[in-house]
Amino acid sequence: MKVTPEMVKNYIQQGLDCEHIHVDGDGRHFEAVIVSKEFAGLGMLKQHQLVYKVLGDRMGPIHALSMKTLTPEQWANQA
Amino acid sequence: MDAKTIALEKIRKTVTENPIVLYMKGTPQFPQCGFSGRAAQVLKACGVDRYVAVNVLADQEVFDNLRFYADFPTFPQLYINGELIGGSDIMVGLYEQGELQKLIETATAH
Repeated sequence: MKVTPEMVKNYIQQGLDCEHIHVDGDGRHFEAVIVSKEFAGLGMLKQHQLVYKVLGDRMGPIHALSMKTLTPEQWANQA
Repeated sequence: MDAKTIALEKIRKTVTENPIVLYMKGTPQFPQCGFSGRAAQVLKACGVDRYVAVNVLADQEVFDNLRFYADFPTFPQLYINGELIGGSDIMVGLYEQGELQKLIETATAH
């Protein structure tokens, strides 16, 4: 089954409290912008590991997930 | 020991015995994936000319098991002094902040 950006978005939202999430992708390569207060206090590596943990075995058919992870504060400052 | 244990031990040995290790698809000269190519370019931009690049496409055990080593399921992966730094997004992010250069400087200073 082909993985859609919408599915990746739902998978992440099921396990992570997201203020904002946007996912683009072609079925194998995805790009995500994820804003969550659960990222607060974590370094970039821990933030990415948290998203991968939420995705778990669903990462199998996902060849690559390029991520930008932000806390709500960082998101507000960026906008 | 099963194949997974052997592979994880091999990875541990590689990342702890070498200051800078990049697990990638292909080689720095001929990367087989855009993200791996970007990772090699970031190291080059940091002025790193000597590091261990492991082509995961040429090592099935490492390819299958690297994701378990540091709970990171994608390639490339950069290790400095035995610690996972991250994949290509994190490498680019740290490079833009000037942090990757510092980590590398510390790792290669003798």
